[in-house]
Amino acid sequence: MKDEEIDDVLNRAARAAHDPQPETLRRVAESIKPSLRPVRPLPSTWAITSGLFFVCAAVSVAGAAHAGFFGIEKMDILERSLVFSTLVLLIWVAGAAFVHEMIPGSRRRLSSGALLAFGSAVLLAIFAFLFRDCHVEHFVPVGVACLLTGLLYAVPAALLSWLLLLRRGVALNPVSAGLAAGTLGGIAGVAMLELHCPNFEAAHVLVWHTAVVPLSAALGAAVTWILHFPRASGSRERATPQ
Amino acid sequence: MHADSDLETLMALYQQGDFAAAAALIDRIGPQLHRFFSAQSASRADADDLLQDTWLRIHRVRHTYRPGEPALPWFYAIARHVRVDHYRKSMRTLAGERELEAMSGTAAATPAEFGPAHDLDALLAPLSESQREIVAMLKVSGMSLEEVARATSSTVGAVKQKAHRAYEKLRKTLTVHAIGSRGGRSGLS
Repeated sequence: MKDEEIDDVLNRAARAAHDPQPETLRRVAESIKPSLRPVRPLPSTWAITSGLFFVCAAVSVAGAAHAGFFGIEKMDILERSLVFSTLVLLIWVAGAAFVHEMIPGSRRRLSSGALLAFGSAVLLAIFAFLFRDCHVEHFVPVGVACLLTGLLYAVPAALLSWLLLLRRGVALNPVSAGLAAGTLGGIAGVAMLELHCPNFEAAHVLVWHTAVVPLSAALGAAVTWILHFPRASGSRERATPQ
Repeated sequence: MHADSDLETLMALYQQGDFAAAAALIDRIGPQLHRFFSAQSASRADADDLLQDTWLRIHRVRHTYRPGEPALPWFYAIARHVRVDHYRKSMRTLAGERELEAMSGTAAATPAEFGPAHDLDALLAPLSESQREIVAMLKVSGMSLEEVARATSSTVGAVKQKAHRAYEKLRKTLTVHAIGSRGGRSGLS
């Protein structure tokens, strides 16, 4: 059987498929009428990404200003330029991926899962290349303190990014959007730690600093999952559009 | 009033609060989306519900459409997520029933169940969810590969590959069905 013959069978079947009743279409139109107001379309991707970048940079710098810029002061020129240029790049890539996650039908180059894997892998590679101090001192207590500090700034960065972009509702997959927002916030949290933390032990940076990204991403996905699914089950009852 | 306007123009007018443009969009896209849902095992009532839910979501997130961008992938990207949400919800509630159906072997349509006019749902039944979605968009809705790639957050290459695999499966199924029909006819004569 040739492709054209299959096309023909499919076309005939599609033509035979039932259309909605005119009454159904009229009901749909009537249901949106009361809330039909002009809306302003989203700005361009680069404009929103710039906004997200500004939010993340502001949260990181504000956090480091509060806690002290001990990390960046201890770094040499190579470490500063490599670590912060990588973080700037990652925040930009994560911001753009988050924007594409939220715009239906846009060309998406990186899924949320791929973004998380890519961000974590790049950070691990950069940290492994730059930090060679193999001493380990108070690995867990110092590490957990750093992890919590990173998360403390990752959460507001993710939350502000979410509010900037999604205050009017999620169009597509909320869990995937939560994962992307969490990843973006996590990278902002790592940026804050790099500005602040003067502990350059390789194991400390590789494990505890990098862990902020997947943990923040998991937190973002979990929160959106919890928030979305009870709402999804009740959406049929709530037929009035917002 | 807006009969000759293209989807992108109608969408821009809808964003400006023009009800006639919104109604024209519903008249133009509604039947396409309904067929898209019907092609994926939805009953008429389910397809009606999905259409209603899709438009409510479209209405809520209409600000995410950016003038100048193709509108069709934007509509379908939302529609497929509404369908997935609906599917997950129904899977949770009907898990027990499906298990029983699977055990008795009556869950999926088989080639022998095709009617003479090839019911679309039964025709696409042997395909996986994602293959069915791709075929429905390409052949039932008449979208281009690029539009399907955008609607499914995928690449043109991946869409081509899924469509190719779906056609291979359909070819096998239809060939078996054709041989079965010929065998049945010769047996009767």
